[in-house]
Amino acid sequence: MSVEIKLSRSNRTYRPIDPLAGKIIIKSPSSISHHGIYITVNGSVNLQVRGGSAGFIESIYGVLKPIQIVKKSVEVQPSGKISAGTTQIPFSMILNDRGKGKFYETFHGANINIQYLLNVDVARGYLHKSLSATVEFIVESELAIFPEKPISPEMVFFYITQDTQRHSLLPELKSGGFKISGRICTQCFVSDPLVGELTVEASAVPVHSIDIHLLRVESIMVGENIATETSIVQTTQIADGDVCHNLPLPIYVMLPRLLTCPTVFAGSFSVEFKVTILVTFQTELYTQTKSDPRALRKWVAMESLPLELVQAK
Amino acid sequence: MEFKVRDYRAEEEAHSLTRVSVSSHPLCSSSSSSSSLSLTQDLVSVEFFDPLRGLSTEILEPVEDIAVAQKHASSQSTSHLSTKEWASFNKLLMQRFPVPKMISVSALSSKTIKGKKAIGELSTNMQSDDLNDSEKSAERGFKTVSQQEYIKRLHELKDEIKRSWHADDRVTSLKLSIKVASLLMDTCVAQFYPTLFVLATDIMDMLGDMVWERIKEKAEFADDGTKICNLSDDFEANSICLEAKETCNNWFRKIASIHELLPRIYLELAIFQCWRFLRNDIMDNLMRTVMMIRGIADPLASAYCRFFLIHCAQKLPRHDAAHLVACISDQKIILKKIVSTKQTKYGNFLGDLKLLISLMEPTIEYTMRCIFKDPNQVADMIVRLEVGKSPSELHGKVPWISIILHYLLKELPTEVVCSNALEFLNLIDCSSDFSFDQCLNYKMLGLKVSEGIDQLNTVDAVIDEVIQAATKRKILNEYLKILDAYMDVILHYNMDQSLKSILSEIFERLGNEVVTEDELASLQSIVVKLVTHFDDMKYVFDLIYFVDILDVMHGSSRSIVSMHILTNATRNDRIDDPTTVKLLFDVAQSLHDNVDFSNTRQDDNQHAERLVARFIDKVDHGIELDRHLTFLVECRGAFSSMNGLKEILVHSSNLLATKALKEKKNNLNFVKSCITFSEVTIPCIPSFARQLILYLETAEISLFGGLISHADGLLDSAVCCLQSFYMVDGLRKSSEDVDGIVSLTRKLCSFLLLVPGNLEQGAMYIPKSILSLLDSQSLITPKLRIIVLCSLLSLSATFAQTELPYHAIHEEVIGNDRLYLGDAMYSQELRSLSGVILHNMVDTIPQESSQVTRGKLALEACNCITTFVKVNDEISSVCSKLMETAVSCLGGDDKYLQSTINFVNKQSPTSVGGE
Repeated sequence: MSVEIKLSRSNRTYRPIDPLAGKIIIKSPSSISHHGIYITVNGSVNLQVRGGSAGFIESIYGVLKPIQIVKKSVEVQPSGKISAGTTQIPFSMILNDRGKGKFYETFHGANINIQYLLNVDVARGYLHKSLSATVEFIVESELAIFPEKPISPEMVFFYITQDTQRHSLLPELKSGGFKISGRICTQCFVSDPLVGELTVEASAVPVHSIDIHLLRVESIMVGENIATETSIVQTTQIADGDVCHNLPLPIYVMLPRLLTCPTVFAGSFSVEFKVTILVTFQTELYTQTKSDPRALRKWVAMESLPLELVQAK
Repeated sequence: MEFKVRDYRAEEEAHSLTRVSVSSHPLCSSSSSSSSLSLTQDLVSVEFFDPLRGLSTEILEPVEDIAVAQKHASSQSTSHLSTKEWASFNKLLMQRFPVPKMISVSALSSKTIKGKKAIGELSTNMQSDDLNDSEKSAERGFKTVSQQEYIKRLHELKDEIKRSWHADDRVTSLKLSIKVASLLMDTCVAQFYPTLFVLATDIMDMLGDMVWERIKEKAEFADDGTKICNLSDDFEANSICLEAKETCNNWFRKIASIHELLPRIYLELAIFQCWRFLRNDIMDNLMRTVMMIRGIADPLASAYCRFFLIHCAQKLPRHDAAHLVACISDQKIILKKIVSTKQTKYGNFLGDLKLLISLMEPTIEYTMRCIFKDPNQVADMIVRLEVGKSPSELHGKVPWISIILHYLLKELPTEVVCSNALEFLNLIDCSSDFSFDQCLNYKMLGLKVSEGIDQLNTVDAVIDEVIQAATKRKILNEYLKILDAYMDVILHYNMDQSLKSILSEIFERLGNEVVTEDELASLQSIVVKLVTHFDDMKYVFDLIYFVDILDVMHGSSRSIVSMHILTNATRNDRIDDPTTVKLLFDVAQSLHDNVDFSNTRQDDNQHAERLVARFIDKVDHGIELDRHLTFLVECRGAFSSMNGLKEILVHSSNLLATKALKEKKNNLNFVKSCITFSEVTIPCIPSFARQLILYLETAEISLFGGLISHADGLLDSAVCCLQSFYMVDGLRKSSEDVDGIVSLTRKLCSFLLLVPGNLEQGAMYIPKSILSLLDSQSLITPKLRIIVLCSLLSLSATFAQTELPYHAIHEEVIGNDRLYLGDAMYSQELRSLSGVILHNMVDTIPQESSQVTRGKLALEACNCITTFVKVNDEISSVCSKLMETAVSCLGGDDKYLQSTINFVNKQSPTSVGGE
């Protein structure tokens, strides 16, 4: 005896105004009676605070109360009987039938989790265990929810030299100097790749690797304070070894689904993104013991830029 | 016993056929064209891919598929060819570099090769937040793996990928593929890298095809298996259903999340054609990938990555060449960096720079080949590659690297090279770096220019430049190599002045140093071109320093040149210039002296011998017959090791004697000298059969000249020769030799008719010698014996006629018919000889072991006897006996037997034999 939900879209992605449709498939060797079949949509923002800037609060709060986005239950079938074999029960419901409330997009972060679940329950009274199944679906918000914003592929120019670094560098890097320039899009659609261009113009010390880090910045209001944590979503290498100077290299980073979402500023939390260009130079110091990955090392130069992600129409 | 009287003239008239004149030659058959056609079909090489044949195999499929199959075949034919090309190129690539048994690999790849199937280990690669490099660096240093183990592991990985794919575990397939692609980051394998590349890209291609098929299936069929649409080969992205697009997108997203650059590029390239499901114009993506490869600093890894990109781009239905041009230009920048480095090493590559470049070479070759594949786009490509711009015009751009220039020259159409030869010469001149031998670029240009020799303009300027460039070279071999390639042009345009200056330069340089083998080879090539160009060798010999240069040459090069000279010289009808004859004689002698008769291959020796023979044959001293004989004597001395040649010499001297005899009568001494020359020369020939032929020929000549005593002596020698043949060659003679000698014996018999009987030794001296020879040699088979005996019987029967059927031409040579006219002793001798022959025949037949042969021999003998001898009682009893033998051996129904009975019955008044 089993029950499962099959959504109408294979990518399980819906907009709030779309009908969330699908089938409930019940397989049973014998006919069973039930007290009604219900589907429930549950969307919530789960927040937790750990480490980072909120270190001292963590001990007090830990997991915060989730923020409810939507919770809605619909009876698909009144109580009755299900015959033996496979039974398919179609269903359909509008998520945002009242046209208000914010449907944040699905996002799986380190501290913030925006998740939508669809649940089916076959109530069978107190004597029997009720049958149930849960499936996650993904919500993509339409642009209309946010204030209209013209999207132009805005390129930001950047320069990385020994003088732009705020941390200490190896003496040979400091004296020999280097210049890496380029441009990158700081506003882009979540469905599109992050693009740009980078050129090593000069470098006395050979380049070891150039990586693009995609970072998420999750902020949560905890009482009077704001707990902010920055973590890496994805690292993409764009140069391996001492590449030819003055030859532009493309920056092309596809944004991972679910791990990114349009930038959100809600009252109690916010999700923002950053992009960091990290240049590692060749040195004999690699043999050093493992240290905190976020600590800035002397053979690394970097440049961080805010990145605004927007949902495409 | 009495001989039949014959009237030869009447018999000839009675037996000769009526002659009818015909309009065409019977051997010139008109059906020859059809037979040659079938021959050419057989010669078609198996390697050749015939699109029509390829189609015919597909027709074997069910009938309803024909239309699809045909469409498939026609639209795929271009890509099919390139796949084949790719495969054969890869095969060559694997064989090209000798791989050591043990390969040093980086620690990371050794993990993949040696590691267990721990896929989890790799997961860090998928989404690596590996900010810390210390882990990697701790594993620095190299490990060694055996080549076998490495290849075995790659095959295992391929199987694993296939297996997990079919088990619907596509994530594992992808993870393993990433592992494979990551192996390509490791270039410390050096010589093994091409092999690794071939094996790894094979896996990439497999994955790419599987992904393509899967998405295509999603696009064509719904979840429940119903067909949605049928995708044509040139489908549009908007005809793809959302679900298929979604799957496709997911693949690209998964691959995009790979941290390392190189495996990310390889995997995107592997499934690159899947971009077609998402958008129509995917050239931007291709160009972006070309740019991404720039991020790979390792020159070897990036070169092969571009190579793979070009391969993957060929799978796309429409592709322009922008990516090819970009690849070459990026490659140029990297090579420029390599060739201008002051160090002996480049980057992290362990081997030296030469090895590095040689490993990169195939990728450059392939790229250039692809660029100029489409003949319609050549002009466009030339513009895009900026070939036309001179180095000064490039304004700080990277000049041509010689290795790239080499493959550019190689792949460019001949007419383009020819019409811009001077510009290319300039390019070569400017690109002198160690990536490729500049000389070879000059050579390549030379070869191209020679190919399109008639389209060449500015010939003089080109040749002047080339000679200047070559003269600058200090090493003789470089000088020779460059000029060798332009010899055809110089000769074609009759540039005598240039030729002279080259020859004198060569001679001067030859004098200054010891000539190496390589230089000899280059010199040989030049000299051969020179020799084969001119029809008249006299002209070649007259070239200043030519003979001197020839003298410097030695060994096999000298022989090859000599052979060419002789081949070329003997192409003319006759060689009569005394100086030319003398020089050619020297050439032939050097060839003779260079041939190692004990050692080298038989074919070569025979070829040399044939050439010398042809030379001797073509030498013509006109009316100076004495000089020609002297020449022959010289030849005999000079070419003593060539046995076949002596035969030619004998024939020549015989011919000379005939000429002398035909011309005037008062030079008998000269004829005698010729015959003596032949007589002395013949015994040096090893084969007795050959000797016999020549003895007979010389005897004929002497009889022609009326020199009876010479002829007698020669015939004596011939009989001795026959004897020696049976004695020496007897044990190992083949049936062919024996047949030959039998026919020679018969020829001897017919020749004897011309020779007047020897008064001292008796008229029948030679036939008797032959008879006793038969008796003494027990090894002669009965069959042979009967044949020879039949000839002897016919000879004695003919001698018994009052007029012989033919006579010697020379009036002083009197035939036996006139010499012994009415001589009773002579007739008696003939009769008794015939009696002996007859007995011999009867005795010989039972000795034959084979029954059938015995019967046939009996009939043979019977026919012979009844033809020449009058049938009386004695003879008919002999014949009856023979018939009985024949009947017992062959049976009464044998056709030969029947016709013999008929014949014998006609000859005799009383019936012989019977049923």
